[in-house]
Amino acid sequence: MHIDIKKEIKESGPGKAGLLILLVMIALALLAPVLARYNPFLQTADSLLPPSWEHWLGTNHVGQDIWSRLLFGARTSLLVGFGVGFLSTLLSTIFGISSALVGGLYDKVVMRIVDAFIVIPAVIIVILVAAYIRPSILVLIMLLALLSWQGGARVVRAQALSLKERGHVAAARSFGANHFYIAWRHIVPDLGPILLVDFIYGVRRAVFMEAGLAFLGITDPTMVSWGMMMRDALRFSYLNVWQWWLVPTGVALSLTIIGLTFLAYAAEPVIEPRLRGAEVA
Amino acid sequence: MPKLLEIRDLRVSYGQDVVLNGIDITLEAGETLAIVGESGTGKTTLGLSIMRLVEGTVRGDISFNGRDLLALSDREMQQIRWNQIAMVFQNADNVLNPVYTVLDQVAEPMVAHGLKKRNEARDRAAELLSHFGLPKNRFAAYPHQLSGGEQQRVLIAMSMANDPELLILDEPLSSLDAVTRSEITGLLKQTRSNRTMLVVTHDLDTVSKLSDRLAVLYGGKIMELGSTKEILANPRHPYTRALIRAYPNMTTVKDLQGIKGRMTRPVSGCPFHPRCTQVIDICPREIPELLPGHGRKIACHRGGIITLLSTRNLTKYFNSLKAVDSVDIHIEGGETLALVGQTGSGKTTLAKMIMGLHQPTEGSVYLEDTKIDNRGKDFYKRVQMVFQNPGESLSHRLSVLEAVMEPLEVQGVGTKEERIKKAIQVLGEVELPQTEDFLRKYPHHLSGGEMQRVAIARALMLDPALLIADEPTAFLDASIQAKILKLLLNMQEQRGLSMLYITHDIAAARKLSDRIAVMHNGRIIEEGLSNEIVAAPRQDYTKSLLKAASAMN
Repeated sequence: MHIDIKKEIKESGPGKAGLLILLVMIALALLAPVLARYNPFLQTADSLLPPSWEHWLGTNHVGQDIWSRLLFGARTSLLVGFGVGFLSTLLSTIFGISSALVGGLYDKVVMRIVDAFIVIPAVIIVILVAAYIRPSILVLIMLLALLSWQGGARVVRAQALSLKERGHVAAARSFGANHFYIAWRHIVPDLGPILLVDFIYGVRRAVFMEAGLAFLGITDPTMVSWGMMMRDALRFSYLNVWQWWLVPTGVALSLTIIGLTFLAYAAEPVIEPRLRGAEVA
Repeated sequence: MPKLLEIRDLRVSYGQDVVLNGIDITLEAGETLAIVGESGTGKTTLGLSIMRLVEGTVRGDISFNGRDLLALSDREMQQIRWNQIAMVFQNADNVLNPVYTVLDQVAEPMVAHGLKKRNEARDRAAELLSHFGLPKNRFAAYPHQLSGGEQQRVLIAMSMANDPELLILDEPLSSLDAVTRSEITGLLKQTRSNRTMLVVTHDLDTVSKLSDRLAVLYGGKIMELGSTKEILANPRHPYTRALIRAYPNMTTVKDLQGIKGRMTRPVSGCPFHPRCTQVIDICPREIPELLPGHGRKIACHRGGIITLLSTRNLTKYFNSLKAVDSVDIHIEGGETLALVGQTGSGKTTLAKMIMGLHQPTEGSVYLEDTKIDNRGKDFYKRVQMVFQNPGESLSHRLSVLEAVMEPLEVQGVGTKEERIKKAIQVLGEVELPQTEDFLRKYPHHLSGGEMQRVAIARALMLDPALLIADEPTAFLDASIQAKILKLLLNMQEQRGLSMLYITHDIAAARKLSDRIAVMHNGRIIEEGLSNEIVAAPRQDYTKSLLKAASAMN
């Protein structure tokens, strides 16, 4: 059965909305240097200014322009999100398919590792590790990816187990094809939709985790992060700066996550066809 | 028994054209030897050389009763001709003299050799003619007034006139209808008891009725030599088998099959190698010797028909279920073995174990007597499979061209252009369109029959020696099924494929296969020649399969 994920998303309202939100976010992040009016790291004496023509969202406690920081924060958020999403989907694919194809002891070992990671809450590990090594953004991405591929791997393995029993896979084997060829030519193409959903989930989780960790102070201090902005803003919650400091940041983060959630919601029938309504054949 | 005729290393050529290339034959007194082969294999030349009537260059020894015929003067040879060696020629109307009555013609050799006076000779001639069934009122007729059958009777009577020790019959009966033929065969059989005969023919019916021993001639060489009965029942040379397969008869149930290619001359090495199903390096280089084997003599570098694939004690358990239970089957080069049994009897599991898609619980698979442990690309180059459901076995993401090229891609054979060229050629072989448009189609654009043809083409891309076809027509309607079966037969003829044909339909199996193995509950319960299994099944299960098979009445 051909599943056309593009059609699936285009035909659902939330799908379209999610895609729109995400595209806007990505555009803002990409155009940050153009749209931002100040260097987001530039500290000035004009601290805690309310919104004005010069500073659309005012300034923070060290006089940095909040609008500019919000834009650059989107870069961090999306970079971590997509980086982790990509890496963890890649790991899910590699371990899921190899488990399914190789089987035997290898399969058992990989699946027990997956079980173990699923039981242990990832946040705790990240906090512990981060407390010691103060991760740069690259290390953070790898760390999050390492902690989030396991669920996807399970799904991929289950699907690959069913795909490998297909006739065309048996036929390819009968030409002398090895595991790698089978995985690349016959299994990955049919996993496409599932991998996309897994990827979207991965991105969403990573955006959320990055913000959360930054909020806890575990972050790369050379980057602007929405989580960190919210933490800073909260310290000044007794002033009315929260209106243009805390709220826009919170809204930006929420919108990003909502966009991704909508997208995942629209794509979900792909992996769970029972969610599909009655279809006209 | 004394040796009547001994031919050693006989070589005959017409100019550059070598017709006989080292023939060794011994004929004992009283026996009948048949020489068979296609037209142009040198059969007639062999007969004519013994008579010294060949116009080409003859070398070697032909000794008759201890005398070297090739060394005799023409005069001495004349004495031997008709008196001691007589020949019945192929074209009756050319041989008979149109201006003599048949009675005079039969009397002529006796008179000419001064054995009898004319009157006695006529009496003897009349006796012989009646013996071979020519009505008395035809004795005075001229040859052109007789039918072909009657002319043939005259010729045989004439050859017997001087009571020769050796009678050479060149296609004595091939132009006659079946009833006349069997009558004359009967008459010849009677004379056989006190005469030595050399029967040159392409007609296997005559061979089986008349001869004790059989020599199969191809390209001027003897390919197989032995007891007629044994060779016809169990040919061991690929050419002999092909010849028998091509001969219409009431015994075999498989459809008629030609022999791939055509006879060509000159050929280096084994004369049959361009058409053989089991050629190896040495075949085109060296001429095989006629050596003893299988209770006869065979000229084949591989010692006759090889066993291409065999299984020994192959067993598969699925948990406690015994799907395949110690199966021993073998498939010879160029033959079709049909594996027949109902659904769930373990046929597909057996095929998948051979292909390495299932691991056997016990037992092993042998390819040309080499045990196969790890199947590498080499194994899959030789053994290919066509699966039951073409819709499943073709990936919905690959176009026709991509699907057909896949085996070459996996094996890393050739450049892209070569692969495309090969794909287009093989698609033509399986009678599919070779247009750009068709190559770009996806499986869901194709009909079931087309899909299965694509799958067959794909399996043929590596030029395998063995094709395993697992119910290839299960999803197709009757008319498409017939076409696919014909296609498989054609592929076997053209490519000399061996086939393991898996089916539940014993009616289809008998049309397609040389042998049938019946599988029931994971075991092979009966195995034998297709005609024998169909005509005289030993097991009750086989009988019930036959009873359940489709019939029109």
